[in-house]
Amino acid sequence: MEDDKSKHAKREPSYLVAQKGLKSWLFTVDHKRLGLMYLASTLLFFFVAGIAAIAFRTELLTPGPGEISSVLEWLEMDTTQSATTYNKLFTVHGAVMVFLVIIPSVPGALGNFLVPLMLGAKDVAFPRLNLLSFWIYSLGALFFIYTLLAGGLDTGWTFYTPYSSNFSGSAVISATFGAFILGFSSILTGLNFMVTIHKMRAPGMTWNRMPLFCWAIYATAIIQVLATPVLAITLLLLIMEKTLNIGIFDPAMGGDPVLFQHFFWFYSHPAVYIMILPGFGIVSELIAVHSRKHIFGYKAIALSSVAIAIISFLVWGHHLFVSGQSELAGIVFSFLTFAVAVPTAIKVFSWVATLYKGSIQFNTPMLYGLMFLFTFTIGGLTGVYLGALSIDVHLHDTYFVVAHFHYVMMGGTIIAFVGGLHHWWSKMTGRNYNEAHGRWGALLVFVGFNMTFFNQFVMGQQGMPRRYYTYVPQFQQQHVLSTVGAYILLIGFLWTAYYLLASLRKSAAPKQPIADSPWGGTSLEWHTQTPPIEHNFHGQPRVDSDPYNFPQIERTGDAEHH
Amino acid sequence: MSDHDSPKAHRPEGASEPHPGHPFMAHHFNTPGQQAGAAKFGMWVFLATEILMFSGLFLAYFIVRMNYPDMVLAAHEHLNKTAGGINTVVLITSSLTMALAVRAAQTGNQKAILRNLLLTIAFAFTFMVVKYFEYSAKFAHGMLPGKYYHAWDHGYLIEGHPHIFFAVYFCMTGLHGIHVLIGIGVLAWIYVRASKGHFGPRYYTPVENVGLYWHLVDLIWIFLFPLLYLVR
Amino acid sequence: MADNETHLYLHGKPVEGFDECHEHISPMSIYYKVFGALLVLTGLTYAVSYMSLGPASLPVAMVVAVAKATLVCMFFMHLKYDDRYHVFVFLSTLIFVAIFFTFTIFDLQSRAKINEEQGTFFRDQYDREAPPPPTLPEGVELAEH
Repeated sequence: MEDDKSKHAKREPSYLVAQKGLKSWLFTVDHKRLGLMYLASTLLFFFVAGIAAIAFRTELLTPGPGEISSVLEWLEMDTTQSATTYNKLFTVHGAVMVFLVIIPSVPGALGNFLVPLMLGAKDVAFPRLNLLSFWIYSLGALFFIYTLLAGGLDTGWTFYTPYSSNFSGSAVISATFGAFILGFSSILTGLNFMVTIHKMRAPGMTWNRMPLFCWAIYATAIIQVLATPVLAITLLLLIMEKTLNIGIFDPAMGGDPVLFQHFFWFYSHPAVYIMILPGFGIVSELIAVHSRKHIFGYKAIALSSVAIAIISFLVWGHHLFVSGQSELAGIVFSFLTFAVAVPTAIKVFSWVATLYKGSIQFNTPMLYGLMFLFTFTIGGLTGVYLGALSIDVHLHDTYFVVAHFHYVMMGGTIIAFVGGLHHWWSKMTGRNYNEAHGRWGALLVFVGFNMTFFNQFVMGQQGMPRRYYTYVPQFQQQHVLSTVGAYILLIGFLWTAYYLLASLRKSAAPKQPIADSPWGGTSLEWHTQTPPIEHNFHGQPRVDSDPYNFPQIERTGDAEHH
Repeated sequence: MSDHDSPKAHRPEGASEPHPGHPFMAHHFNTPGQQAGAAKFGMWVFLATEILMFSGLFLAYFIVRMNYPDMVLAAHEHLNKTAGGINTVVLITSSLTMALAVRAAQTGNQKAILRNLLLTIAFAFTFMVVKYFEYSAKFAHGMLPGKYYHAWDHGYLIEGHPHIFFAVYFCMTGLHGIHVLIGIGVLAWIYVRASKGHFGPRYYTPVENVGLYWHLVDLIWIFLFPLLYLVR
Repeated sequence: MADNETHLYLHGKPVEGFDECHEHISPMSIYYKVFGALLVLTGLTYAVSYMSLGPASLPVAMVVAVAKATLVCMFFMHLKYDDRYHVFVFLSTLIFVAIFFTFTIFDLQSRAKINEEQGTFFRDQYDREAPPPPTLPEGVELAEH
């Protein structure tokens, strides 16, 4: 693979210092800076939504009304509002996590930073559109913040009618409008990546020589572009319903509330694949690099990403099994839901096969990658249980569903995201985090996560409903276990945040610049300075093979992270 | 020649950074062809998103029509077919002038670009004016969406749930109208740029892309008009 | 690599000329012919609506609309002469719209039958009783349409 002479070029100022001043950040069109800004924003909202979760998990320590009532009393507010407050807490947690954290985080933060670098391009196809995406994201976030200040939202993140349109007194319109705006950010980001990947690959980089992370981002972009507009129109119709009572979702006026669910889930099911596909891309990179072995089944992983993107549009009805949807439609959707599990399984097998006879380095990114395999597989398999129509009748709206989606979204996307963050941390920031700290953090997160969510499968199967403020005493022990796990998870994430931020202190600056490829990765982002210069590369890199041929490339520089 | 290789700190400002030998060449592309190809492809992807957005409304229409066939038949008689027909012809003509504007840019005929763009904008205005009269008539007759529907106060009796039909009517034509207004804005911007002589055979991507957007607006109306106004 | 020489790439392949870029310019006559055809088809749309075709009126109207749309896409939007991939994007979009429509309508259609078979009933909506006939308020006369 021809080098782009970055080893021989003298060190230029990195993108972090190339331009100075607040304006140079707020008005930047540099994809790397935008990636960092998305990173900061999504991590901030991750903690906001996480605190909401800690709050309601604390409430759930006792079967009856508990902490929330006490806090409201202390604040001299109406304690009869405790149940509504609980509803507002889980809604905030869900809505912020879905719209402000998980959907934007991997494409916005890691995708923006890495895709042009991995493709050997100088920037994305439309840099100013990228900036606009970020501003739109910020505007949507402002609407969400306003919603919180205006008393919150209590409909659940799914905004089901007729509660949201006719009965809820909470700030539905501002939250809905915020989500509407965030949708456009997602659409424009997806559009940008699609065009970038089609048109701006380096010479010699055929589709089959692209890093798998780019394939994953491409598949995600397909979904973002096709599904999100339907969310936009759904939310618009909901706003119309709430303000004008147009009657399309209201049975008393001749409408159909299940129609809202069809419209909503036509987006929201593919949306969960927007959430997980980039995570799959990250894991492909982590596992290949940290086992120093060519990824097994490159084509299978690449094409299965696209297959998942397409099939994901065919299964939304599995969220409507018990809604009043016809059983016949239910059967069709159930069958298709089993189908969508197949490409996913192909990936998991490929990753495990990659590990086989690899030279596995148990550093923090790899620990997160392995954690992903464990937790995501559990999440994915339990999804198949839920896809079975008859079983779902029993498990719908129980904690089984809650555990399932947390295993895939947190145990999947967030774990992969944190792993990717560690893997590319030095490339993005030019700093090294403390590896020992990283491993402890991974352990805390793993223990906390499983303690929180594993027994929720059992709880759900035993009948504990989700979104319930109070519950029968027989579930208390399990709830206590879950809450303790949640606290451990919180400590794990706080610890991770601490040591990552600590690595950014002036005193933690490395004595010598970090090597271009400290982990031994061979994709193009590892062939440029750490952190990269503003224009990414000196000249136009060429490639002549895929980026997973490790034995041919020497690791440049020492492993300074120990 | 390769500006992007210059060692000095280069403001990454995208398409506003002039490239020696070619105007409006962005620093992160290798050739103008790559830039134009990327822009057009991006526009087509954007059109895909617009189609999907409107598809939700079309589905809502079909479902209302499926559930209340008689009501839809009765209610849509009150829509002004003539106005709708005029608007259809206006929009198709504006599509023609838009396509001619793009062709003029391809051949470098500056006068024709300006003339055709102006005509397109004029037709777009005509469309909005006709729409204004249509809407006013509806408001005057009390045919408003949802809970504001009160046509009976003006002597119009339609059985069933006519407020749903009019809600769908206003949502669809309203969203379409908003797109026409945005189109007028974008066309005006392109007109200003064209009057400064920015476009020619070597660079006419913005004209082409605005053209694609405008044709989409026309396409949506091509389906909207028979479904709302004409079908029995 | 690209230090002193200029190596230029279009879609990953090297090109000779900096301005290499192939675009097709349609003759004026095509535009006017398509315009004429569109006007004729619009007239046809009108004519079809006045014929009593019964349940066939919707599909026929849609076929005419699709014909008009095809002309606009192929000639005004240049899809006929463009990168094939753009056609693929456009058609795929329509396929996904079709998926959305088909599955949702399938659910709505099959609901009524299954509910009837099983004796499930929903108040309000599925009774589908017509709401009481509308009446004119005091002092308002029936309007001429």
